[in-house]
Amino acid sequence: MLWVDKYRPRTLDKVIVHEEIAGNLKKLVSEQDCPHLLFYGPPGSGKKTLIMALLKQMFGPGAEKVKLENKMWKIDAGTRTIELELTMLSSTHHVELNPSDAGFQDRYIVQEIIKEMARNRPIDAKGKKGYKVLVLNEVDKLSREAQHSLRRTMEKYSVSCRLILCCNSSSKVTEAVRSRCLNIRVNAPTEEQIIKVLEFIGKKENLQLPPGFAARIAAQSNRSLRRAILSLETCRVQQYPFTANQAVSPMDWEQYVSEIASDIIMEQSPKRLFLVRGKVYELLVNCIPPEIILKKLLSELLKKLDSELKHEVCHWAAYYEHRMRLGQKAIFHIEAFVAKFMSIYKGFLIATFS
Amino acid sequence: MGKRRPVVVLSSSSSEGQGEGRGGSATGGLESSKSRSRTAPPVSSKRPRVGKSRRVSSEASPELEVKFDWLSEDFCECLHEFRTTPGFTCTDGMELWVDKHKPRSLPELAVHKKKIEEVKKWMEERVKTPKEGFGNCALVITGQAGVGKSAAVHVIASQLEAELCEWMTPTPTLWQEYIHNTNSEIRYMSKLDEFENFVEKIRKYSLLHPMKIGGSSKPVILLIDDIPVTAGRVAFARLNKCLTTLTQSTQVPTIILITEYHKTESGDNATHYWEELVSSLERAGAYKVAFNPITVNSIRKTLNKICQEEKCHVTAEWIDQIAKASGGDIRHAITSLQYCCLKPDRFFSLPASSLSDSYCEMNSDKSNLLSNSSLEDGNPDCKISLPCGRDETLTIFHALGKFLHNKRVAVDLCARVAAVEPDSFPLQERFARNPLKMDTPEKILSQAHGQVQPIVDFLHENVLDFISDDEVDNVWLVTSYLSDADCLLGGVLRPTRHQLIPDIYEVESVAQSFAALVAIRGVLFANSKPSPSRWHTIRRPRLWQVEQSSRHNKTQMLLEKGEINNNSSLCSMSYIAAECRSAVKWLRAQTLLDVHKDENLLHYPEGREDNSDWSVMDQLKGSNSEESEEDDIEDW
Repeated sequence: MLWVDKYRPRTLDKVIVHEEIAGNLKKLVSEQDCPHLLFYGPPGSGKKTLIMALLKQMFGPGAEKVKLENKMWKIDAGTRTIELELTMLSSTHHVELNPSDAGFQDRYIVQEIIKEMARNRPIDAKGKKGYKVLVLNEVDKLSREAQHSLRRTMEKYSVSCRLILCCNSSSKVTEAVRSRCLNIRVNAPTEEQIIKVLEFIGKKENLQLPPGFAARIAAQSNRSLRRAILSLETCRVQQYPFTANQAVSPMDWEQYVSEIASDIIMEQSPKRLFLVRGKVYELLVNCIPPEIILKKLLSELLKKLDSELKHEVCHWAAYYEHRMRLGQKAIFHIEAFVAKFMSIYKGFLIATFS
Repeated sequence: MGKRRPVVVLSSSSSEGQGEGRGGSATGGLESSKSRSRTAPPVSSKRPRVGKSRRVSSEASPELEVKFDWLSEDFCECLHEFRTTPGFTCTDGMELWVDKHKPRSLPELAVHKKKIEEVKKWMEERVKTPKEGFGNCALVITGQAGVGKSAAVHVIASQLEAELCEWMTPTPTLWQEYIHNTNSEIRYMSKLDEFENFVEKIRKYSLLHPMKIGGSSKPVILLIDDIPVTAGRVAFARLNKCLTTLTQSTQVPTIILITEYHKTESGDNATHYWEELVSSLERAGAYKVAFNPITVNSIRKTLNKICQEEKCHVTAEWIDQIAKASGGDIRHAITSLQYCCLKPDRFFSLPASSLSDSYCEMNSDKSNLLSNSSLEDGNPDCKISLPCGRDETLTIFHALGKFLHNKRVAVDLCARVAAVEPDSFPLQERFARNPLKMDTPEKILSQAHGQVQPIVDFLHENVLDFISDDEVDNVWLVTSYLSDADCLLGGVLRPTRHQLIPDIYEVESVAQSFAALVAIRGVLFANSKPSPSRWHTIRRPRLWQVEQSSRHNKTQMLLEKGEINNNSSLCSMSYIAAECRSAVKWLRAQTLLDVHKDENLLHYPEGREDNSDWSVMDQLKGSNSEESEEDDIEDW
């Protein structure tokens, strides 16, 4: 098991990083009335950890007995029947799923599943009507239609079903959904907090952390705790005992993106763009999400760029990131961004040096 | 009288309907379509398709009777069994010009001289000399519809005074007929079976031996024009085998006519088989002559001649248009001409003026793209304004080639400025482009029957090859237009709103066609300085493969993830792909290293390993190019 999973705090009491939020959540649940919740924050900040701890707080150890199932959903959508296969994780008290996996048919998933959950409403030991919890991941990736139907089902079944939504950016969740939830912002942990966690893990694993080593990992982790722990583990695998100046290797795809960036800086021509396209394809084949590629590529390019160009380049990156959402094939937009960058950069070079 | 002999044709009604330029055809009321009933007595079944096709002219009726005598015997016999279909008796004036103006002599043929010579030589050799001398007695003539394959064969045969015996296509069985026949317990026989039987008989009994036909000593040539339609592999294999054995074993000179089809013209496989058929016949020893589409000039000549004969006055422009629109199909051209002459007053009044107008405009402001394109948009093309044009089809690759090569009429700047009309927009220099050396993209697209998404993908894959090296700005323009197109498509293909049968007026299909146009016109516009044209192969979009394998990898990863940790929660794909997986890779590698210390195994996916090599090479290359770049800069 990866350390990331191994040292995940299981209960709200054991949470190290977001202690305040954990405390509030505990108070919220103990008062027996739980509203719909929307957790949002950057990746690696601990949203899922908080959610799972919260579930345990609500339902006790039963929430940890989960089973993974691939369920076929037959959905009657007006004129035709849609069959969808979706992986879901369920215990007696909650169901967790990634509705955006269903792609464009996510709307049906949201409606159908919530309906079914409302039907099988559990009755708890005291004979009191309980409620089930539905955890939906990546709500920001849901289509607009799905978010609208989410809103409707939220109201209709709110008696028997609580929703916990989880996403990176609340700006991609419609206002209607946001206003029906208690919004909980989960900040990215500070570097000090990350160092604290790393040292905690080091102690548990009986590792000798050289002074400053944890700080370096934390600095490279981009304030993602998960990332930091993964790096620590890979460093442990690469070389142990740690040396003070041991390199913290970046993820292989990140290295690859920075190669692409230097390719772009070196030459600006259709041929080079073609070469870059091939490399981006390579990343896409390995399922690296295109948004992340674009983001990483931008940050790599910015490192090598004259400051007067930065603003414009960022503008275009944002522009094409938006288009990527509107369109279907990410490569078109990534490529358009690269071409735009090439055009800007070449113009800049000519203006400066001639 | 040498060439003008009466004719008796036994040809089926179906072949007339299709009008395959059958040699013998309707004349003076004698001809009527006959179909052989299945219960033909032995006599007629021995020679059912002895179509004695000879030239016919309208004044030939007296001779008809004379010549008819020697035929009459078995002909009458046949007549009894043949169901005559009424309705094809035409009076002279009403006759189709295609039939009326059949070529009667070699010079009249519009086909290229060399090809005729080739066929003629072949036939002469077989006819004049005893056939033992030649191993192969088969000739395959290919060519698209209406290039005069049958006409050429008939004319040459009559020149050589040879008998043409045709395989008569049986009439298709209607469903009602079929029902009727099964009720009366007549077994249904497929046309392919009949054809096989026929071929079998010729081979075995050599029925067509000259000596057997009424004692006439004329050499006989077997003509197989209408090959049965085959559906599916199995039927085609049978046909292929049948024809191949015929080719190998025939004693009589045999000519097989095969009509070429455009691949895009129809989706069904039957039309795709002809190439295969031709090649297997060639392997069997047949001699192949391919007829090209008839040139515009010779069509024009023929049309002019017909006009003179018919004494109708058609302007040279119209003839020109018809000839161009026919796409090398002379039968089509003649029919169009007849149609045009039907009601000259009504037909010419309106479009003729607009035609000439547009023609002038086209010529006068070739230089102004905007007015040119607006003209073309309104009135897509002169050809299309012709009510009887034969719409050409293009293969999708042909169309792509046109878009990518982006050929334009060279107009120098001054001329462009001078030619701007007062009412058109003055365009800024950077937006102005030379006029395209092709039809409007819309038309090409519709001719290619292309689907939008593949076209956009193909453009995306290939366009970079066609942009000259220095034009990075153009590269950006191209890619940004492609990105626009993708956005348009992205809205469309979300099948929540997508319907199975797209309606032309649906928002989706409109958006789709716009997406295609944005992509195409974007590529055309943005690539203002295409790289010097040279041979490019058009690649298949790699994107398709990438999408497929990424989907595969995704499921693979989810499985792996399931193995690695006991799932206490679901993970997002991005986390698995971007972080978890690479960490796990390290771990795996480590455990493997522990197991086999000597093997330096790292578990990378294959593609990745290659890339690390590339990247090293790239860096090397890059450093070189950087140096050279710096040198350049210093030179400036």
